[in-house]
Amino acid sequence: MLVFAISDKGGTGRSVTSSNIVYRRALQGSDVCYLDFDFGSPTAGAIFSVSSVARGTTQGGMHGYLEGRLADPHRIDIWAESDREGLRAKPPGAGQMVLFPGDEGGGEFSTVSEEMLQRCVRLFARLEEEFDLCLVDLSAGRSFAAQMALAATARLPGVPFRWLVFHRWTRQHIIAADGLVRGRQGLLAVGVEHGHDKETLGDRIRFVRTAVLEPDAAELEGLRETQKAWLNECDRELRELAGRHRVGRTSMLGKIPLDPVLQWREQLISDEDVLSSQIANAETVAAFDDLAKKIVDDSAWEAL
Amino acid sequence: MTPAYATFGEVAAERRIASAPLSHVSIELGHLYMEDFQAGPDRLREQFRQVAPWAETMRRSWQSRVPGGRARVSTCFLIDDYFSRFSTPAELVPMVLEAAAECDLTIDYLARESACAEADGVMLARLVEDRLVTDPPAGSDGSRPPVTETGWLCNGTRSPYSGAVQAMGSARRWEPPAQNAKRRHSIFVDVELWDTDSRGRTWSCPFLAAVWQLLRLGLIRNEGELPVRPKPRGASFPSEWDDLPAIVQLNPAAAPFSAYSTLSVLSSRFLPVELAVRTILSQVFVDAQVLGQVADRSGGEGIRLPDELVDRISYVFLGA
Amino acid sequence: MLVMGEVRTGLLQNSGEIPESLCQSVLGLLSGERVRVSRRPIVYAVSPDQLTGVDCRLASASQARVRGVGTVLSRASVTGGRVLQGSSHIQVVRSESDHRLSWSHYLARPGVVEVFGKIRVPDLSEGFAESARNDCLDLGSVSERFMDAVQASPFLDRKAPFRSARTRLRWVAESGPTGSGGAESGPTGSGGAESGPTGSGGAESGRAGGGARTPEGTGIRFTLGRDQVRTLRLVLPGGFSPGIVDFCEDLALHDWLLTTLLVIVEKARVGTASRAEVTAKLAPAVDHLLHLWMPAARLDDAFAPFWETLERRPGFSRQWHSLVERVRDQVAINTLALLRETGGW
Ligand SMILES: Nc1ncnc2c1ncn2[C@@H]1O[C@H](COP(=O)(O)OP(=O)(O)O)[C@@H](O)[C@H]1O
Ligand SMILES: [Mg+2]
Repeated sequence: MLVFAISDKGGTGRSVTSSNIVYRRALQGSDVCYLDFDFGSPTAGAIFSVSSVARGTTQGGMHGYLEGRLADPHRIDIWAESDREGLRAKPPGAGQMVLFPGDEGGGEFSTVSEEMLQRCVRLFARLEEEFDLCLVDLSAGRSFAAQMALAATARLPGVPFRWLVFHRWTRQHIIAADGLVRGRQGLLAVGVEHGHDKETLGDRIRFVRTAVLEPDAAELEGLRETQKAWLNECDRELRELAGRHRVGRTSMLGKIPLDPVLQWREQLISDEDVLSSQIANAETVAAFDDLAKKIVDDSAWEAL
Repeated sequence: MTPAYATFGEVAAERRIASAPLSHVSIELGHLYMEDFQAGPDRLREQFRQVAPWAETMRRSWQSRVPGGRARVSTCFLIDDYFSRFSTPAELVPMVLEAAAECDLTIDYLARESACAEADGVMLARLVEDRLVTDPPAGSDGSRPPVTETGWLCNGTRSPYSGAVQAMGSARRWEPPAQNAKRRHSIFVDVELWDTDSRGRTWSCPFLAAVWQLLRLGLIRNEGELPVRPKPRGASFPSEWDDLPAIVQLNPAAAPFSAYSTLSVLSSRFLPVELAVRTILSQVFVDAQVLGQVADRSGGEGIRLPDELVDRISYVFLGA
Repeated sequence: MLVMGEVRTGLLQNSGEIPESLCQSVLGLLSGERVRVSRRPIVYAVSPDQLTGVDCRLASASQARVRGVGTVLSRASVTGGRVLQGSSHIQVVRSESDHRLSWSHYLARPGVVEVFGKIRVPDLSEGFAESARNDCLDLGSVSERFMDAVQASPFLDRKAPFRSARTRLRWVAESGPTGSGGAESGPTGSGGAESGPTGSGGAESGRAGGGARTPEGTGIRFTLGRDQVRTLRLVLPGGFSPGIVDFCEDLALHDWLLTTLLVIVEKARVGTASRAEVTAKLAPAVDHLLHLWMPAARLDDAFAPFWETLERRPGFSRQWHSLVERVRDQVAINTLALLRETGGW
């Protein structure tokens, strides 16, 4: 299955959340891969702690492959190549976890040529043969990466795909997420242009809230009553706004709580971070784990 | 485990390739387009008058090569019914035959141009298109699919155009196209094979002419069978082009339609077309078994044919 | 003689095995040309031959610049309606010219790549087998493209029963010292094709490379490399025969079966996961793979000794049969246990 990760804005937590989903899915026993299609900023290597490709690869990655400069894009076995000790031993029963980084110094594309699109289709088709889950991290907003994803999936009718739209829990982000999906030149409109059915495509899109601070969270314990009341009111307003923009509970696949570790560093959260060093919150891992299951759980994707 | 000795050799549907009857040379006496027809029978007579001595020279040349002078020479004539339809077979064919006879020429076979696109339900042009193996520019290492511009075929590397570029990437300067087999300087040829409109695909004149040469050389097979066989002429010619067989045998005593080699006597206005035809033919892959059959047959007669298809084709270009 | 090729092998992307009639459709990559099928002992269907033009460097161990021009001969095949292979090869010969000729010259020699200058067989065969340089002849990509074309067939439902990686078998065959190698091909000693087993760089322990030299001056060396890469080097008496390609494809097929079954068994976590889980993970192997093992079924007798060598070491069939037994035992035990739990026994 192909899963496309997108957000209207940068810095929403799309890459960090997607990487953690991929990691959790691998721990759950699936063979997974992560494709860095954030062409303007190919930094996925950093999240997986592969320092040699922290800013992209020099050995020919997604850019070089899509431009036709090489046949086999650089692939990195995270279990073998991560700098983090804790990641370097594949737990028994875990699946493959492979990263396809972008090119170091690679930029956004200025157009999608037919050849590029064909290469993209071929790549998706081949990876789908090998991996249970291929997560494609797209550039923020309306991009050629997103257009290519829509066009390529339209040419692969037999390959199942889903979209995750990441947003933060704020007014601006809620409105923007809706606009990215349903607005002018949004995913649905462009998808239809490329031959997708609007209904079907719509059913394959879900929202993910990132870095959410619940009003009743432990972090907020010390607040004054007036502050709590104000927060509760904000949250109520946001829920209402989300409902109006069809970004509400029914179309939401999951939400990830604000986590102290992630606020400071983009990384995978291991069980060890929660259990032995106790730097990360158990709720965060639980949320990633839950999302990793829901992504492939058909009942979470029934038509709305 | 199966012991390694007990091998099984059964291959159902073993390839069987029909062989074509072959003359020594197929001479094309002319190619009739609407404008020639509109110019009237005198133009046609004039054409035949010019063609006759060249045809005779080719016939003699083969007679002197073959023991006992028993050269098998067949002649053919192609009428365009593909790009434009004019007149009717009933009206046109007798006129052509008459003009030829006045110049002491016998037309053995008459073919319709549309037969090169599709004949007897076989999509000949598609068959040939599927067998194009593009001439690779230096640096083609197999890692990428051959560079193709849909519907075009060239003999080298096109001038790069600024396709997809990356933001903040470096811009590209103009570079010239290059011929793959150039000798210092290039003669770059880029041929349009077909175009499409609301009625579908229209094959280009050079592409159909390339199919025509392959038919005359007896090198096309469809599932191992000969795709078109000449049909004997009826008592009269039909009033619709579609009712005329793809290739009509006019002369019952004619040598076979296909031949080891071909000669086309043409107006020099066809020179660019034939350059395009040769560009196409030099990139068509003909089944090795079919080539083998032809080589065996000709070898059996003591005739050695050039390996390369384009070298089996000769032309005479006539000035206006 | 110097022949080199690359076979890529993978699972046909369909829920079940496809019938012979469908093989005709999915492998019909060339109009006007039939797909050939053989039915015994297993249905094997092969596409018409396809050509791809190349003009590029050939990898050489000494890093010498060797330029070759010609055509790659490729075909796709489906075995048992289930396993797809893309296979490409070339014969390397010395060009009689010192510059590139017209393309029709090369088209008249399908599957031949002409090299300018003297051919140093050991240098080229070593280079091809060992390296995957970016700017050198890449037969694997050619093979993959034909596989992709088959996988994209509208007749396939793309609902494969399990995920699996494609394997890559790169092979080189050359004439032995007694063979008719021609004046060019010099001694083949340094290639090491007659040396003993080489270590395996792969993660799968228990399956190292195997190699031996038979008395008649032939030799075979099979090496299991990193990831999905395998190399095979053959020294043969005499010249090229199409049987070489059949042999390499057959070996690639069985290596893929073994590789894939190993992965399935590993993932089933026998002894750790619950019985029901283990059985569910092993089921696709029983349904789709176990019956496909038929080494050397369609091969030329001349290649039987090579299979026998490989059966001795690394011992393909031994490993396969022991795995198959393990799978069958697990499924049987787990079924019995489940029956007992549900009171049905
Ligand atoms: N759940 C979270 N809690 C706290 N910070 C987060 C959370 N998820 C992401 N972040 C932080 O937000 C920032 C942006 O995340 P990133 O994944 O790079 O966003 P994007 O890919 O959308 O641009 C990073 O510093 C990241 O660590
Ligand atoms: Mg990001």
